[in-house]
Amino acid sequence: MKKILFTAGFMILSMLSDAQDFTFGKPTAQQFELKRYDKDTSAAAVVLKEYGKAYISNNDLAVVFEYHVRIKIFNSKGYNSGNVEIPLRKSDANTFEKVRDIKGITFFVDENNLIRNTELEAKQIFKESKAGKYHDLVKFAMPNVKDGSIIEYSYVIESPYRFNFRTWEFQSDIPKAYSEFCAVIPGVYNYNVSIRGPLRLTRDEAVLEKECFSPGGGWKADCSKLTYIMENVPAFVEEDYMTAASNFKSAMYFELSDYSDYRGAKHKVTKEWKDVDRELKTDESFGLQLKRKDFFKDRLEPVVAGKTSDIDKAKAIYTFIKSQYKWNHVYGCYAEEGIKKSFEKRSGNVGDINLALVAAMNSAEIKAEPIILSTRSNGTVNTLFPVLSDFNYVICRVTIDETSYMLDATDPLLPFGLLPIRCMNDKGRLVSLDKPSSWIDLSASQKEHQTVTMKLSMDNAGKIKGTMDILSSGYEAYNKRVAIKKFNSVDEYVEDLDERLPKVKFIKSQIFNLDTLESGLRESFEIEITNTEKDQFYLNPFFMDRNSSNPFKLAERTYPVDLGSPSESRMVVQMTFPDNFDVTNKPKSAALALPNNGGKFISDTKIEGNTLMLNSIVQLSRPIYTSEEYHYLKALFTQVSQVKNTNITFKKKI
Amino acid sequence: MKIWLLISVLASLGLPALAQKNYDVSLIPKTLLARAGAVIRNDETTIEVKGLDEVYYRKKHAITILNESALDEASLVIGYDKTTSIRSVSGRIFDESGNPIFKISEKNMQDRSAVSDVSLFDDDRVKFFSPAKLSYPFTIEYEYEIRTRQSLFFPSWIPMRTTGVAVESSVLNFVCPESFILRFKELNFKGKADESLSEGIKTYRWQLNNVNAIRDEPFSPHYEDYLPTVKLAPEKFAYKNLKGSFSNWEEFGRWMSDNLLKGRDELSEPTKAHILGLVKNISDPKEKAKKIYSYMQSKTRYISVQIGIGGYQPYPALDVDRLGYGDCKGLVNYMQALLKVAGIESYYTIVQSGSFKKDIMPDFTSLQGDHIILCLPFKNDTTWLECTSKDAPFGFLGDFTDDRYVIACTPQGGKVMRTPRLSATDNKQIRTANFKIADNGSLSGKMTTLFSGAQYDNHHTLLNEAYTEQKKKLPKLYTLPNLEIEFLEFTQHKDASPETREIITLNSSNYCNINEGRLSIKMNGLNQMRPLKEIRNRVNPVKVPRGFYDEDTITYLLPEGYKIGLPPKSTIIENAFGKYSANVTINGKTITYKRTMLLNEGYYTAEQYDSLVTFFQEISDADNLIAILNKI
Repeated sequence: MKKILFTAGFMILSMLSDAQDFTFGKPTAQQFELKRYDKDTSAAAVVLKEYGKAYISNNDLAVVFEYHVRIKIFNSKGYNSGNVEIPLRKSDANTFEKVRDIKGITFFVDENNLIRNTELEAKQIFKESKAGKYHDLVKFAMPNVKDGSIIEYSYVIESPYRFNFRTWEFQSDIPKAYSEFCAVIPGVYNYNVSIRGPLRLTRDEAVLEKECFSPGGGWKADCSKLTYIMENVPAFVEEDYMTAASNFKSAMYFELSDYSDYRGAKHKVTKEWKDVDRELKTDESFGLQLKRKDFFKDRLEPVVAGKTSDIDKAKAIYTFIKSQYKWNHVYGCYAEEGIKKSFEKRSGNVGDINLALVAAMNSAEIKAEPIILSTRSNGTVNTLFPVLSDFNYVICRVTIDETSYMLDATDPLLPFGLLPIRCMNDKGRLVSLDKPSSWIDLSASQKEHQTVTMKLSMDNAGKIKGTMDILSSGYEAYNKRVAIKKFNSVDEYVEDLDERLPKVKFIKSQIFNLDTLESGLRESFEIEITNTEKDQFYLNPFFMDRNSSNPFKLAERTYPVDLGSPSESRMVVQMTFPDNFDVTNKPKSAALALPNNGGKFISDTKIEGNTLMLNSIVQLSRPIYTSEEYHYLKALFTQVSQVKNTNITFKKKI
Repeated sequence: MKIWLLISVLASLGLPALAQKNYDVSLIPKTLLARAGAVIRNDETTIEVKGLDEVYYRKKHAITILNESALDEASLVIGYDKTTSIRSVSGRIFDESGNPIFKISEKNMQDRSAVSDVSLFDDDRVKFFSPAKLSYPFTIEYEYEIRTRQSLFFPSWIPMRTTGVAVESSVLNFVCPESFILRFKELNFKGKADESLSEGIKTYRWQLNNVNAIRDEPFSPHYEDYLPTVKLAPEKFAYKNLKGSFSNWEEFGRWMSDNLLKGRDELSEPTKAHILGLVKNISDPKEKAKKIYSYMQSKTRYISVQIGIGGYQPYPALDVDRLGYGDCKGLVNYMQALLKVAGIESYYTIVQSGSFKKDIMPDFTSLQGDHIILCLPFKNDTTWLECTSKDAPFGFLGDFTDDRYVIACTPQGGKVMRTPRLSATDNKQIRTANFKIADNGSLSGKMTTLFSGAQYDNHHTLLNEAYTEQKKKLPKLYTLPNLEIEFLEFTQHKDASPETREIITLNSSNYCNINEGRLSIKMNGLNQMRPLKEIRNRVNPVKVPRGFYDEDTITYLLPEGYKIGLPPKSTIIENAFGKYSANVTINGKTITYKRTMLLNEGYYTAEQYDSLVTFFQEISDADNLIAILNKI
């Protein structure tokens, strides 16, 4: 998905061309007449032309980003392109991005069929401070956006954040006919440049600009002017079951690797993992936190008292840390408050909590190391060179008797060794205090697993009585526990089940291991199902499934299907019925397998005398399926859905 | 989305300050624990009017959180904006025995914008706090004071506002000078206000003690129909520097008209000339209005912009004309201005929007509603316009604002009016389909569906999509297995009783189940009733807010080589809730399935809910009808 284009430095000098911005407010006659976008006739709007340029200011070393776009609107679904939001990063009162020189114009055809234009008015531009914890928003609506309008706007952002220079997204929710980005980078700055997504650049070039960088004091440098052009960029359309859009969207990313200051001294920013390792180890919010082992010494004594094996100690410490902190729902691989302070406040971000877990484990002499990772919604990380800003999460890995367990203490319902699904995103980096860091596969250690067992018997009146046992483990048990905890009590949870299924009465119920997280969750019910009709009765054993339709509805799939974890669900039903009844309809038998051992579906319903036996297994052995495998997956679920939607019909013999 | 009131800032208020209470959890009356994840120990709100532009809200709120299900109730969120400032805020957390363990001050609180994503601009902000990790149960107590520079709007007192939360004590005090006239309305409140007067200061006090937690019950009416509520309104008021008074809807309408609308209907000369040109050859005023409406629809788009006088005042017509956008207020005001040019009278009308009908209270005048529509009072032909939609038919409100009391604001004063009703039999979905079953169990054929009344917009989300997107999204609406759309077409007939026609040619492989020489065909794969949730010991009355009528006639052409066994049985169910019928007729190689379903609008007692559940369940069972064919 990701490849390094090159390190932006001085190495490339190609032909001198002069890419530049297009003239503001001068759409061509052709653009006015455009009725649809031929490359994608379903497009409600298209970016006709888009130009961006980023450079480092000679005044204050800010990254200056000039943006200019011209968009054709075809119909009302495209009006959203006329509602513009510019997010501005903000760290504190002194460090923030600002936007200036916002300019906009709309060309439209008026009621008399004349082309007219309206400019964006300054008083119609609004600023929303602190729209998020770390950003403000500037918003405006382009005037007179109608079918056939052309809107055009431009602005300049000044940013003190040089580290990522400026990310350029070639792809957005509408197609683009032409997108060009120009990065002017002084030779004293070295950026790693990468392109993401499946699309190819139409053109790219690099030219040298002599002494373009002169921040004063006689300090001068040449710049490389890098131009990236993509034409006919298709719209980016999200699909269900996919991870972060940024993993798949075509875009240019920059990462500062080193720079030289005015005295010529070189500063490495990121270069190699060994540099990153060293930085992390000495970072006040990371490595130094891990050294606060002593902080936990006394506090852990009562926790591990009486525990003899390391595994028991580790489990006790994990439970202790989970009970001490409330996660404030802020991500991050660094501690925001620090282990001590957050412990006292009993609240912290991911970094505070999981680094505390590592420190606590180490303090009990259990080998523990942090793994930094990027959550599913944050995108995958660059594995070619270290890009620390790709990471937004940290977990703890403990190793006991050569077995490793990955732990996250932000969620009290996670059992020892189970990571939340949000962490299931390809690879993480294990940061060891005494060894070089290394890549670790994060793939789920446990799957989503459920077995439903029913033993039922039906009487002459169609009343079905018996037991239903549901055993859930892995992610399924976690999900169930989360659902049950939303209720005021277990009784209310069962009452809700009972009320949702008016035909099924839950006569007795017992839930085992609700708080014993490391064991599977077992729900044991005594049930009674009523049939209202005479002489013909029905049973659908899958009545607990909320949605039994095929989750895969698209004819074609562009991106991989990412389910997060493997899964397996079994159903075993044994049911007796009166001798004077026949089974006239039942789910068909099926046995299907996905290619490459991807999974299977087996369903079998047998009648022996007056006993019906149904067995079904749906097994998906991998978390991710490629878009080529999609058809098999869809076909498998067509069968699953058909079986689940078939009522077993019992009919009185005549 | 189309909100015109911005005073949501205050709507979250509900409480004030007494002597220190003992928050020991064991002191909670046992009867209050049923179904409660939290118990409000003490909630006291004091609203003090010092001057018309100087109003204080003092609130004290103490709540015991018994378990995780109610943890969200421990958070404090205080809204503020340009007219409202937070003067002080503090709090404490107590353990199970009532010992204080943590102090909260303003510096523990976070601040953020409260602007919704859909809004281009408004100035709502909130301060919020949520506690750290605590073991259950614990009690959290907040105390704060807000000052606001307006007395136009007072939040209602709704002591029981959340499911799963019991109330030990809740109090509202309203304190004002003797000269200040408070109007109030008590709903579902058994007691009465305590009124007292001392040294020129009047005090009103409402109190509610020991009420059990409420449940979320489907088909409940609006909370104002069953929960204790006190609504408050001033007679004389100020909104910053703007002063006014009203005590009935007539005065309210005049005040709106004179202060917030007057002079905002100016238009440029070219626009006026264009409108006159548009209608110059039309004599019928309604036809004129129709022409102008479609002009307005093509010229503007809806954007939420909440500025000026708490978000009550529309953008001037001149601005909407120039910019081509506005919110509901701006667009209605603009449309009104355009009509005025053509000499057509219309009323700027306040409504509470949403498919769940809610009246503006005819007998209590205060700021109500959340949306604006336009009323055209043609003689014996009152016509209503929704102005925020680019494709709404002229004169059709749909289910968003139908059948409810509204307030029309005119220079002659406000008028209570009622929007037209869509009856159950107006809200139709009529489908005919001709399908062929192949011997491999697949189904293919064509179906045509007509949607009207409140169902006119059922598939609205698809209408403006590109054809390829429509084809992609349709399988989410019809869950036939492996649905493939070969052809799809929507046409709309737009008048005051509009209709949407959907024609689909489709193919569904695996539609039938084939097993051991038997082929079973689901008779109803397109429109199945979902069962309704039961509620043990239901408390709330039952309201079916809107009726509808569905009719499906589906013909299946059977494959060769099979013969049908016994015909599937017919069902007829009829009672106060509605009427259902399903029957199958066999004619040679074809089976015709006809299903009709009428759900009546209605109001029933809590006890009747069980019968409604049975009604839904019987329909849902009957919708599972299958026809079984045997291999010859």
